[in-house]
Amino acid sequence: MLPLGYAIRNLFRDPTRLLQAVLGSALVVLMVMVAAAINGGMKDVLSASGSPDNVLLLGAGSEESVLRSEIAERSAGIAETSLAGLSVVAGIRAVSPEVHQMAFLSVSKDDRRQAFVRGVTPRALLVHRETVVQQGRFPESGEIMAGRLAWKRLGFPVDTFTPGARVFFEDIPVNVSGVFAAPGTVMESEIWMPLGDLRSLSLRENLSCVVLRLGEGAFEDVDLFTKQRLDLELSALRESDYFAGLSVFYAPVRGMAWMTALLIATGAVLGGLNTLYAAFAPRIREIAALQAIGFGRGPIMFSFVQESTLACLCGTLLAALVAIWCVDGIAVSFSIGSFVLRVTPQVAVTGLVTGLMLGILGAIPPGLRCLLPPLPSALRSAG
Amino acid sequence: MNDHDDILIRCHELTKHYRRGDRTVTPLQALDLLVSRGEYLALMGPSGSGKTTLLNLVAGIDSPSEGKLEVCGQDLTQLSRGRLARWRAHHVGYIFQLYHLVPVLTAFENVELPLLLDDLSRRERRERVESTLALVGLDDRMHHFPRELSGGQEQRVAIARALVGSPELLVADEPTGDLDREAADAVLGLLRSLSREYGKTIVMVTHDPRAAQAADRILHLEKGRLLEQEGA
Ligand SMILES: Nc1ncnc2c1ncn2[C@@H]1O[C@H](COP(=O)(O)OP(=O)(O)OP(=O)(O)O)[C@@H](O)[C@H]1O
Ligand SMILES: [Mg+2]
Repeated sequence: MLPLGYAIRNLFRDPTRLLQAVLGSALVVLMVMVAAAINGGMKDVLSASGSPDNVLLLGAGSEESVLRSEIAERSAGIAETSLAGLSVVAGIRAVSPEVHQMAFLSVSKDDRRQAFVRGVTPRALLVHRETVVQQGRFPESGEIMAGRLAWKRLGFPVDTFTPGARVFFEDIPVNVSGVFAAPGTVMESEIWMPLGDLRSLSLRENLSCVVLRLGEGAFEDVDLFTKQRLDLELSALRESDYFAGLSVFYAPVRGMAWMTALLIATGAVLGGLNTLYAAFAPRIREIAALQAIGFGRGPIMFSFVQESTLACLCGTLLAALVAIWCVDGIAVSFSIGSFVLRVTPQVAVTGLVTGLMLGILGAIPPGLRCLLPPLPSALRSAG
Repeated sequence: MNDHDDILIRCHELTKHYRRGDRTVTPLQALDLLVSRGEYLALMGPSGSGKTTLLNLVAGIDSPSEGKLEVCGQDLTQLSRGRLARWRAHHVGYIFQLYHLVPVLTAFENVELPLLLDDLSRRERRERVESTLALVGLDDRMHHFPRELSGGQEQRVAIARALVGSPELLVADEPTGDLDREAADAVLGLLRSLSREYGKTIVMVTHDPRAAQAADRILHLEKGRLLEQEGA
């Protein structure tokens, strides 16, 4: 076995190469960590958004997207009276009739952004328990309430939705009544407004869905209800299942994040391998001498692995610091919500594994360069 | 004493071919050679005559294309690459013209390298490295890096490295080829004392007739064949 000191001192033999290796591996590890954070963040926000205790009543055939769903207005009342086992708060049954749709919001006339708008009644707070009005109050007619990440999702300045501010909903002025939080869910990127307002503004007679919160009852009761009342053309879906479905729908978006990371990483790795390969010419003869002494290819390869792993772990450390200082906390938006990038233990472990893999990969070019030529030719090579 | 035991190197019709493109080069052609245990042999010959090739075969660095080759009682034609490496570690010390020391290791660490292949305690290794460096007269340069040594000193470190594992056979390829006369004399004196006082078998390639004079026997190679024998 070659001493570890040999690997360490070899690292500092060519400071330019060391710097290249550290920065290159840092770039790759950072890209992978960002991709992992995007992946994890998107998955988490979607899975946190759906409660297993909530049931969505959607139009039969529109189970995949609440935006496409249309159900009769009376469905809410019928469900409320027909279903036993709903959660009850202060004598009120947790049934929330809702309209979900995309609509244009603007701060000034020619700055329209498409927002996810939810028309609700105050009962929405009975089903969406994680929702807390943080500033101001629940909206009344002529008002809206914004999720605390909505400004980010819409690309507006951070103070756009302070209570009392005025914005334009489809060019009609409305006042901001408050800001709500619903930690970790996509609702934080939404705009909420009174159900009646949204329906009259969008000339809609029907609802998108009814959200129920179960108390004693089971999902099966609700499911049975939709099958008995075929006239309502309803379909019952656990809210958690609905968001699990969305998560599958967004898998290609997460795949894109990985692909981008992979492409950048491949470029960096190929470039890095090339410089590594070139930089090893002076060591061919020295390695040949070690073989002549009696060192096998295994221990020599192991020393290369030590050397490049040390360099890549320095890069990994650098990437981790950059990730913690600069990436952690960045809010990222996608079509139905926003989430915050976090350096979670999984993200950190993914980065570390990437760094280690790069280290092993980095040992291949010097290994090939020094161990492939036959020993007699390697011994007479110029060094 | 059995005659068989007395022979350390036994080459019979030893032949080496190399492919170079679609041409075949034959640096060694059906060479017969016996080297006795404890003998100091000098190999001379023009450039390209196959001296290094022969040395590499005898040292187990390269494998013959045809013929028989037995060194230290081992048939080298039968060994795999890995077993050959292990055999080298225990039976041969190789001394190169350009020393081939590891530049990032000190003299001490360079000499210690062959011992890392064995199960020796750190103390045992230190004692052996120190006594070997003392033998080549460099106990005061132990912690110098190769770049801090003269060529002659580097070559003596390389000799210590070849010697430290107590191999029966030392092979040297133009060990004084890159040294001035004074340094060359020191190296040659060292080799001679290793032969005389320590009974090492030495095969040395050299272009320098003066260097060859120190050997027990001088062989001339030309176009891969042995020409004549001189000396005793
Ligand atoms: N690995 C190889 N591949 C192809 N040809 C080789 C190889 N090694 C040696 N040769 C050829 O074999 C012949 C003998 O080479 P060798 O190195 O043994 O000569 P030498 O006597 O040591 O010469 P010098 O005094 O210049 O060192 C030369 O023609 C050389 O080009
Ligand atoms: Mg030669």
